[in-house]
Amino acid sequence: MPTIETNPVIKIHDAWKIYQMGEVEFAALKAINLKINEGEFIVILGPSGSGKSTLMNLIGCLDVPSKGIVCLNGENISTMDESELSNIRGKTIGFIFQSFNLLPTLNVLENVLLPLEFQETDPSKARERAKKLLDIVGLADKLHNLPSQLSGGQRQRVAIARSLAVNPQIVLADEPTGNLDTKTGSYILEFLDKLHREEGKTIIIVTHDREPVKYATQVVHIKDGILEKIEHIEKQQ
Amino acid sequence: MKNRAYLKMAVNILLHSKLRSWLTIIGIVIGIAAVVSIISLGDSMEQDVQSQMNEMDLTSITVTPGYTKATSTMPGARGGARGEGGGSITSSIADDTELTDDDEDALKNIEGILYISGQVSGNEAINYTGESATLSINGVDSQVWQYMTTSDLETGRLLEPADKYVAVIGNSVATTIFDREIGVNQVVSINGKSIRVVGILESEGDRSDSEIVMPIDAAVEVIEDAESDEFDSIVAKTENSDMVDPVMEEMEEKLMLSRGIYNEDDRDFSLTSSASNAESASEMMESMTFFLSGIAAISLLVGAVGIANTMFTSVIERTKEIGTMKAIGAKNRDILMIFIINSALVGFVGGTLGVILGSIATSIFPMLGVTIMRRSGTSGVVLSPTLMLYGLIIAVAIGMISGAIPAYKASKMRPADALRYE
Repeated sequence: MPTIETNPVIKIHDAWKIYQMGEVEFAALKAINLKINEGEFIVILGPSGSGKSTLMNLIGCLDVPSKGIVCLNGENISTMDESELSNIRGKTIGFIFQSFNLLPTLNVLENVLLPLEFQETDPSKARERAKKLLDIVGLADKLHNLPSQLSGGQRQRVAIARSLAVNPQIVLADEPTGNLDTKTGSYILEFLDKLHREEGKTIIIVTHDREPVKYATQVVHIKDGILEKIEHIEKQQ
Repeated sequence: MKNRAYLKMAVNILLHSKLRSWLTIIGIVIGIAAVVSIISLGDSMEQDVQSQMNEMDLTSITVTPGYTKATSTMPGARGGARGEGGGSITSSIADDTELTDDDEDALKNIEGILYISGQVSGNEAINYTGESATLSINGVDSQVWQYMTTSDLETGRLLEPADKYVAVIGNSVATTIFDREIGVNQVVSINGKSIRVVGILESEGDRSDSEIVMPIDAAVEVIEDAESDEFDSIVAKTENSDMVDPVMEEMEEKLMLSRGIYNEDDRDFSLTSSASNAESASEMMESMTFFLSGIAAISLLVGAVGIANTMFTSVIERTKEIGTMKAIGAKNRDILMIFIINSALVGFVGGTLGVILGSIATSIFPMLGVTIMRRSGTSGVVLSPTLMLYGLIIAVAIGMISGAIPAYKASKMRPADALRYE
């Protein structure tokens, strides 16, 4: 088990996210304070409507808080514009979505290549990397298939390969097992766990399902936009 | 993201477009095809007029009896050298007034006039080997006609000063009107007079092909209502085309004097220059092309709106994909470029098909009877490579312009919002 380092990758200080719903203001997140250290396996657990997706958006630099500060590797993203945010996202965060979000018109290999193309990686190196990742997730024989020709589990494995393409520091997964059966879901979680243990990646899973909790080093409970409690779990290996 | 990657993505989107996108492309196809074929048709018509103007005698002025204030001229009429008067439509008072010897004399000494010839014309039956056909006969001054005419000879010779009962005939008269061809030195009969053919003119593709030109004295004898010293028209040829306007003014003054007319309202003659006929013909061609191009441009505009519409829908449909791309590192610029290139491609495909359709339309125009607008089959309607290129460029530009706003909108989407879109 890797030692938990003390420098936080993500530091959220008194962050609010407020949506204007007509004349009523709705606070999706209220005064969130959270530190995530490098190399942790975080599960953000909460029922639907708890604000966990909003929190994921902040952590993933998909959105900025209405109030408060979100820092990624010591840089305050709250004041960044969209192109700076996309730059950070592209380099440091790999996303895995509940509904896979593969581009339906691109084949498996092209989907995995896409993040590398946005980073303007050398094409031959990018292909090599993409193929290697697809090999790791066991889809080396499906490179030229379209997502629609794959099963849900296979699609999520493509999505995992895509999230790892730029070798990001953080892998951020939004309900990664939500659309999968238990067995495939376990495979995905095992895979993320292995990434965490063997490569020291920071894994953040946002879910309402308790299943991923057993892999977590820290569980963040969120309800009604408020962080209820943070559980630190010491795992015996 | 690199340009090649943009192109790849844009092509991918295009290839996976729905039927709707292809229907949109048809709008551009039709627009471009219309513009391309109309412009090329207009071009070739104008070239036609140009080439006719070049071979046309622009130095002749025709006087005809009768006058209307708005002397309208028909397009494309040939010079008045053969006494056609450029086809000016004159008022019905033409019957009461004649041009006479005196008028010709009055004009003779104007500076700038090289030749002047009074002419008579009429339709008479021509008999040849037992067949009869009513053809137009022009009586001209055989002293000067050979210098004034712009027609070229096919065989034989033009009229000479000593000629009397001879004729130079148009090409159709010689070859098609009668069952048996008329050759040089054959004799035809007009109102009982035997007339020997001395020359046959080259085909011009107009009505001069079916005309007969004779010395005026003989013409007066064979044309029933013609009288000597009375003319149906007087044709003057100036030294050069710059002289036409001043000479015309002076002719007008001299004729007013000699005919004793002091009041503009009593004027009973008209002056037409071949140059003004040619100009108005080419102007008419131009304005017709302009008008048709305008209509074609409107259809292009409709096509552009169609592309914009489809692009908007396409962007909305791809909201979630755009969100995903942004989440995995696409910058605003990347999204903008992908969608702009995509709509440029739509324009390119539409433009290419449009140019092809336009070429096909252009090549079948002549078969659809468009030749009526053209005088002779000298030059086919040809689509120039420059025009094709312009057509393509316009199509691509339209694609890009109409795709710009939707693409910009796509690029500005916030990833968190876009990802939530279902």
